[in-house]
Amino acid sequence: MNALNVFGRLVALDLTLSGRGLTDALRDKPPLVRAGYIVVFLLALHAVAWPFGLFLGSREAGPNGAAFLVAAARAGVMFVLPWAIASPMSAVSRLLAQRGDLDLLFASPVSAHAVLAARVFALGIEAVGATAILLGPLADVLAFQGRPHWLCLYPTLLGAGIFGASLGLALALALAFGLGPRRARVVTQVGAAIIGASAVLTAQAIALMPAGARDDLYATMQSAPAAAAALRLPERAAIGEPAALALWLVVALAVYALATLTLSGAFARAALLSAGAPAAQGRAKGAARFSASLGAALRRKEQRLLWRDPWLLSQMGLQALYSLPIGFILWRNGGVTGQAGVAFAPTLVVIAGQLAASLAWIALCGEEAPDFIATAPATRGAIERAKLAAISAPVAVVMAAPLGLLALISPRGAAVALVCGIGACVSGALLMLWRQAPARRGLVLRRHSQSKVVAVIEHWLSFCWAATTGLAALGTFLCLAPLAIVAITLWLARPRAKPVADLRSASFSPNSSAIS
Amino acid sequence: MPPALEIRSLRKSFGKPAVDGLDLTVAPGEFYALLGPNGAGKTTTLRMIAGLLPADAGEIRVFGVDARRHPVEAKRLIAWLPDEPQLYDKLDPLEYLEFVAGLWGVAPEKARANAERLLVELGLHDVRRQRCEGFSKGMRQKVALAGALIHDPKLLMLDEPLTGLDAGSARLVKDILAARAKAGAAIVLTTHILEVAERIADRIGILARGKLVAEGTFDELRAAGGRAGATLEDVFLDLTARAA
Repeated sequence: MNALNVFGRLVALDLTLSGRGLTDALRDKPPLVRAGYIVVFLLALHAVAWPFGLFLGSREAGPNGAAFLVAAARAGVMFVLPWAIASPMSAVSRLLAQRGDLDLLFASPVSAHAVLAARVFALGIEAVGATAILLGPLADVLAFQGRPHWLCLYPTLLGAGIFGASLGLALALALAFGLGPRRARVVTQVGAAIIGASAVLTAQAIALMPAGARDDLYATMQSAPAAAAALRLPERAAIGEPAALALWLVVALAVYALATLTLSGAFARAALLSAGAPAAQGRAKGAARFSASLGAALRRKEQRLLWRDPWLLSQMGLQALYSLPIGFILWRNGGVTGQAGVAFAPTLVVIAGQLAASLAWIALCGEEAPDFIATAPATRGAIERAKLAAISAPVAVVMAAPLGLLALISPRGAAVALVCGIGACVSGALLMLWRQAPARRGLVLRRHSQSKVVAVIEHWLSFCWAATTGLAALGTFLCLAPLAIVAITLWLARPRAKPVADLRSASFSPNSSAIS
Repeated sequence: MPPALEIRSLRKSFGKPAVDGLDLTVAPGEFYALLGPNGAGKTTTLRMIAGLLPADAGEIRVFGVDARRHPVEAKRLIAWLPDEPQLYDKLDPLEYLEFVAGLWGVAPEKARANAERLLVELGLHDVRRQRCEGFSKGMRQKVALAGALIHDPKLLMLDEPLTGLDAGSARLVKDILAARAKAGAAIVLTTHILEVAERIADRIGILARGKLVAEGTFDELRAAGGRAGATLEDVFLDLTARAA
């Protein structure tokens, strides 16, 4: 089989698997019905995009149309390009750690160049795929409304995908060799998250700068026109400048070719390095032992497993990181009214609730030995109580410092954040307890794809708790309204049918964890 | 003394019967091998005894304790080893064993002593401080077995315990299990390696389509099969073919 054939097959395989992941909810439907759903979904997206297209078209035709188009493209590039680098960077690190089909591929007689080229290409497509699904309909309807240059969005995104994936690959490999496979995974995930969120974080950081410093920064940026022009290449490609689009695609393909041709050996070596990484040592001397009590043993086990999984901890940290922009926005608004408690208390409560929900999910759904734990001489309730008790300590530790800081600025805000934070933690944990389904611990940040209903309820509860906190910090009794909504939501979400364990045990699932 | 395990008319159905009116008795100190083709109901039976799967009907008694009514009391007496060992990758074997001992309420000093002894016996002492994440299947199987033994269970249920073990480790495990049986623990083991059942089991039960189609010592089964000089494999294939 020649290299091109291998490349095609591997890209097709990767994209098929990604596509199946996207349409997982429809897997039980016959192919025609599935195709029907997809067509209806795409038509609906186009229908929704139609009025937006009319609005954008009228703005483009308005007095500052050209400037508007540039600003829209710049904002798009600012958000998409970092993501196009971060997502494959994170995926390469995961691929090296979990290996997946790498052993099979490297044991086969296909060329390592072809394997890497295909994987990077597919990662690039996957990275910009979601953006294409969301923005593509907008470009389509604008083209239909007589503005065909918007269709340049597609090749620009393709360029961004392969350019970003090539850079992501290089960064992930550099970290793997620089830090070693074990440490690199955590650093890569954190680095990727920071890159992915860089547009939001940078925008907020610039907005928080003193006016003088901000002007200096702009002046410095304008003093390097060549760099600025290079940075504007994808933006000019996106607005439909043919020369810029052609150059952007050439640059992206050149970076891609360079990366896959020069890094395939390094990729194979990194894969070998990951496979042969020495096992980590267990307990440090003097570490506490497990005691002769079910509750204490489970608490210690949960805390130790969490502490020893820096990757998982980094995922928790990232959740907080992604919530920070909201804090910045609230800070700025709160700063105007001089009420810092109103600004930060809701953010802290949301972070606490999300953290508690994630940890509860890890302890309950991500249990690595559910059947084994189920054979322990204890009731299901006792086991679950011990697990939930185990997660309360890390939440308290993480939230103590920001709460303390808030107490210095606004004691009232801190008190409200503490009370509402506890409430948010309890409601998040209860939701996970009532709606648990087994999964791998590492998927904690993707747990929302497990059940869309649970995801919506979780976000809704977070929103209600944030509203309760903000209103309580302002000292108005209106805070009781969102609090009542929290209570009603939890009441509606409570389990009413057979316990989850019984339902799970009715299947042949090897992960079933019925606890009598 | 009551039987170590007494099952009467046990039933479990997943649309079609998986276990269909099973009766089984195992005495304390007895080594019982449960054989059967794939899908015969062996694992389902063990999971019901371990409290992992609710039975549709029937009785399960462990040393006289009604396991369906008082599962916690029954679980204190039982250890269950699944065919796929369930370990915590981020714990080392010593921690894992101390954790398991904690679940069963074994005092820390005793747990530590038991753990050290089992790790030596199973050839895991040198890796007792290494996290399980890098372990081979055989090593994981041995750590899980040590976990099943650490609280000195009176009834051990082992689902394919020798899968993934090399010849030396398999011999070691067989010896340890035989010693446990001699010390009074009842052992129920499922295996596809018929030679193991033939050599070490006191009695053998053959399950097909959720029913016990034959039970007895190897000699009794051979006699029942009516073929002099037959191996357990011959007997097994004859009996399961007849039941099909």
